[in-house]
Amino acid sequence: MTRVSAGKVYALVLILAIGWLIWFPSVAPAYGISLGLTVLLVIVLAASWNLISGYTGYVSFGHAGFFGVGSYTGALLIVHDTLPWWTAMMVAGLVSSLIAALIGYPTLRLRGPYFAITMFALSELARIVTTNWTSLTGGGQGVYLPILQDDTPNFLAMGILAVAAVVVSYCIGTSAIGLRLLAIREDEQAASALGIRTTAYKHAAFVVSSFFPGVAGAIYARQIGYIEPSSVFATVWSIRAIAATMLGGHGTFLGPIAGAIALTLVSEAVWAENPFLYQVVFGGLIVLVLLVMPGGIMRLLEDRGWTRPSRRL
Amino acid sequence: MSDQLLLNIAQVVISGLLLGGVYALFATGLNLIVGVMRVINLAHGELMMLGAYTTFWLSTLTGLNPLVAIIPTVLILFLGGTLLERFLLERTIRQPMLSALLLTFGLSTLFMGVALNLWTADFRSIVYLSGSVQIGALVVSQVRLIGSAIALTLTAASFWFLRSTRFGKSIRATAQHADVAEACGIDVAFVRRVTFGLGSAQAAAAGSLAALMFSFSPEMGQIYIAKAFAIIVLGGLGSFVGAFLGALALGLAETLAAYFTTAQLADGVPYVVLVLVLLLRPSGLFGAPE
Repeated sequence: MTRVSAGKVYALVLILAIGWLIWFPSVAPAYGISLGLTVLLVIVLAASWNLISGYTGYVSFGHAGFFGVGSYTGALLIVHDTLPWWTAMMVAGLVSSLIAALIGYPTLRLRGPYFAITMFALSELARIVTTNWTSLTGGGQGVYLPILQDDTPNFLAMGILAVAAVVVSYCIGTSAIGLRLLAIREDEQAASALGIRTTAYKHAAFVVSSFFPGVAGAIYARQIGYIEPSSVFATVWSIRAIAATMLGGHGTFLGPIAGAIALTLVSEAVWAENPFLYQVVFGGLIVLVLLVMPGGIMRLLEDRGWTRPSRRL
Repeated sequence: MSDQLLLNIAQVVISGLLLGGVYALFATGLNLIVGVMRVINLAHGELMMLGAYTTFWLSTLTGLNPLVAIIPTVLILFLGGTLLERFLLERTIRQPMLSALLLTFGLSTLFMGVALNLWTADFRSIVYLSGSVQIGALVVSQVRLIGSAIALTLTAASFWFLRSTRFGKSIRATAQHADVAEACGIDVAFVRRVTFGLGSAQAAAAGSLAALMFSFSPEMGQIYIAKAFAIIVLGGLGSFVGAFLGALALGLAETLAAYFTTAQLADGVPYVVLVLVLLLRPSGLFGAPE
């Protein structure tokens, strides 16, 4: 039996996924669409978090900050009716990336836990600024968006974004750039000594990575119809991204997808029982995965021989 | 400046320093763990929260004096801390730092989730010694004065323990170089366990005292952990004296900011301090530059 190349399998899966995205909204009930949207949202968050944290090892607790910035940018642009909604979504992503480009200069000099904590602090600061900048954001009152009759455009937008996030992380992961990012994770000093411009690579990964939560936040705002600082800047967005990536297998490009699907479906089931339980489930999952299967679902499949051994990311 | 303004500022400074006392107890505990174990313990705030609730339930259910209830609370959390180290954190020692960071992050989320489920998100408080003391023209809340005094005493006791006892010396040796300490016959695994227990005990005591002074909820840990990071980063990681002075400085900065601006903006002080120090002088005020 000849082995089919991984690239062909991935291409097939991608075509099937796109087909599903187009077909699903026409048959699914409203609940199905909103659940599907959540799965796609978590895939976007996880895959983009993986780009900076899984590949380069710079663990960021700041994904919620970019999500919040994108939510507010998108929501305000829509409310003031300045741009068509899908342009507003793109602008939200670009604003998020721009902020990442600026704060990347000072923060990416910091190593390991310092970076993690600084990103958390900046995300919280963004929440406090948004709450207090009443003239622009309406402060703690939040922003109300127009009510939509049809969720399908949002679903498709999130679907395109998810596909883009996954394709980008695949392209980066399998390229020479990806190797350099991994080299940074394994030993930044050694990478630098080998002539890799570590700062430039980290910075690029950071800017690309923060585009996705920005757009996702804007689509989320349009879908949910009401945002306030404490809901869109909530740490839980970072937690979801981290838990999904850890569960699926961090540093692999399929891991975040598998993790996001598994995590969202499990938490949806738990959520229906008790809305407070999700934190126990998420926290417990992270601890369990780290202790029992540190490589996540992907490593588990690989060890069983069900998937081709990938480069150990 | 008018006399009234001066008096107000004196009042604010005193309450800032009293606040700083509790911060000091909490932050030096975290600093100890970070220094010895090289683990940024993101669950430290939740250990504090568990301390607050243990004291709350002990005093509410058994009618124990809250100040006395702190003693069993500290013992329980010391034991809990050593068990956490033995069964969970120990497994991450030889792994990349990422693992330990994410493990404590998972624990933090887990503990907070469990507390939210058991005790709801409602704010609670322990009503105890609600009177105040007059010192000259200044009025100081009785419970804050006593709470802060206890916190400072415990912080001093921890400092003395690390400085002057043989075991304290083992802890400091492990912090300096774990492998060399091991070669010199120090049981490093045991030292780490006790260190994590001590850090947890300090968090528990600080949580109990904070619960006497302010209202609290399962989410209190998130707020205090940010303050503690600001403090130990300001003081320089691993520096006990730095963390102590950083705690007083942060308490002071927060109350002054609340007085001159709004309480909401004052919430941002720890984050601003944290970001500024990390960007301008990452080694902190008392830490050795890399």
